Amino acid sequence: MKKLKRKEGMVENTSIGSHIVNVILGLILAVVAFCCVVPMWHVLMSSLSDGKALFAHSGLVLWPVGDFNLEAYKIVLKDNSVVRSYLVTIFYVVGSSLVGLVLNVLAGYVLSRQSKLRGPLMMLVLVSIMFNGGLIPTYMVVRGLGLTGTPLAIILSGCTNAMFMVMVMNGFLQVPIETVEAAQIDGAGHFQMMFQVMLPQARGLVLVTMINTALMAWNAWFEASIYVPRTKEWWPLQLVIRDFISRNQDFLNYANPDYNRYLVQYAVIVLATIPILLLMPFFIKKLEENMVIGAVKG
Amino acid sequence: MAKKKNVASYVKKTSWKEDMRKNGILYVIFVPVLVWLICFHYAPMFGILMAFEDYSITQGVFGSPWVGMQNFVDLFTGTGFALAFRNTVAMAILSLTLGFFPTILFSLVLTTFPHKRMRRGFQLLSYLPNFVSAVVMCSLATEFLSERGAITQFISLFGPEAQNWLANPNIPIFWVIYTLIGVWQGMGWGSIIYVTSINNVNGELHEAAALDGANRFQRITHVTLPAVMPLIIMMWTMAIGMVFKTVGTNVLLLYMPITYDVADVLSTYTYRMSFGSTANYGLSTASGLFQSVLGMILLIVSNKLGKKASGASLF
Repeated sequence: MKKLKRKEGMVENTSIGSHIVNVILGLILAVVAFCCVVPMWHVLMSSLSDGKALFAHSGLVLWPVGDFNLEAYKIVLKDNSVVRSYLVTIFYVVGSSLVGLVLNVLAGYVLSRQSKLRGPLMMLVLVSIMFNGGLIPTYMVVRGLGLTGTPLAIILSGCTNAMFMVMVMNGFLQVPIETVEAAQIDGAGHFQMMFQVMLPQARGLVLVTMINTALMAWNAWFEASIYVPRTKEWWPLQLVIRDFISRNQDFLNYANPDYNRYLVQYAVIVLATIPILLLMPFFIKKLEENMVIGAVKG
Repeated sequence: MAKKKNVASYVKKTSWKEDMRKNGILYVIFVPVLVWLICFHYAPMFGILMAFEDYSITQGVFGSPWVGMQNFVDLFTGTGFALAFRNTVAMAILSLTLGFFPTILFSLVLTTFPHKRMRRGFQLLSYLPNFVSAVVMCSLATEFLSERGAITQFISLFGPEAQNWLANPNIPIFWVIYTLIGVWQGMGWGSIIYVTSINNVNGELHEAAALDGANRFQRITHVTLPAVMPLIIMMWTMAIGMVFKTVGTNVLLLYMPITYDVADVLSTYTYRMSFGSTANYGLSTASGLFQSVLGMILLIVSNKLGKKASGASLF
């Protein structure tokens, strides 16, 4: 304990009062942590419960109610829409990140170079941050381009935005001018310059934009609901979950309700959330660093 | 400063011919970005004409009869839009106050807590909600706030009768619920930047204050807070700038006909006017335009404020 204090450079008094404060602080943090964890735990345990018992149960479920039961997962996995939408979502996430990466690097590179048109191009990018045509006009353009009903509508509309382009530009502007000139003398072309000289140096900010794009694509459901409403094979996971949950509201209307159907909504939530929570520990440090870089330089 | 001068002199001195020779390829490289910007930002801007038309699908954007400001008159005299506007403003204000400060409080509590291992553990757990998608988050809220939900049961301990809280049309219940859901999701993740900044506060300042007899609370108010104040102001002005773009994004997943009067926001109003049973493209575009203009004004004002207050700006 003493060592820890010295390490943090603190002069701590160790009176009883200070211990009480520590306990109170710890309790506050514990309550916050509890609130963050318990909803997902509740859903996990509910999905493993007995349908009928759970339906009669009210309040928090900290352990499966009734008999342990995996029927809900069987129902969900038999209906291959969940598995398919998983693949579709991964396709959207990867597609948006890659298309976004290319556009951001192109824009960031051009905007970081000195040229006569730099000012007007910058203006063009900035105006699009501040002002947009709105839902219906955008929808009509996308439809006019013949993209509605295709996955391209979702990937292209969500792959980047002007803010990300400006971030990458800022990253490129930080690259020392000597490095750029040296590469030029060595005969590097524009694309070599972009991807081999500047990109590695600005990878922190570029990664921030990619992670944000990927997260947005993972979370997105609205775009799919307006651009591919009738082509279910291109629905992303989130839209499928939403559909499952709203369809499940009326399971009781059947003459002989199958209570396992009541569990399905929990099972889809678990299936949609657990993988990302399992992946989280592997890149949490990187994400934290990027949060700070993005906020400071973005 | 020198750099700016350089740029200005380059633009003036270089002739177009020379620039084209030197940077022509650069402009070609920009073409894909330009195409993207035109398709998803600039072409839709022509659609704004619809806000001033009695739009009909058969006649198209350029053929429909011109009605001037009639759509806006209809918007402001009708009740639906006025309510949506009121709700948007109310939720925006709540998200900038009740929704903004818990993150800072949490960061302060976290950094004051002395046990390093546990501190890290608590912090990691607080990140969890950030990785839950909007759809899942809203269905969790629906579940916990339903008549037999866990939160409803908890609230009932303090008196209020058990009910489906999301179906309660009284002011300001939906607004507060909406804001608190945002706090739940964003608090842990949002605290990263504050925690980093608090940890970077010069340790010697703390030591000096402690030697002068300042207790922990006094050290927070006299050392930590002044040191991170510029960051807080920056984050707040940024939040103001973005508030009209971000507020209400999840309302579509939470509201229901019974709560339309308190839960409807500009974006959901626009959505219903676009794709609902009473679709009216003219009205929908007009309300979208109104939201866009308001958002732009806020962004510019907050950017100016931010520059003045902390030297940082969004762009």
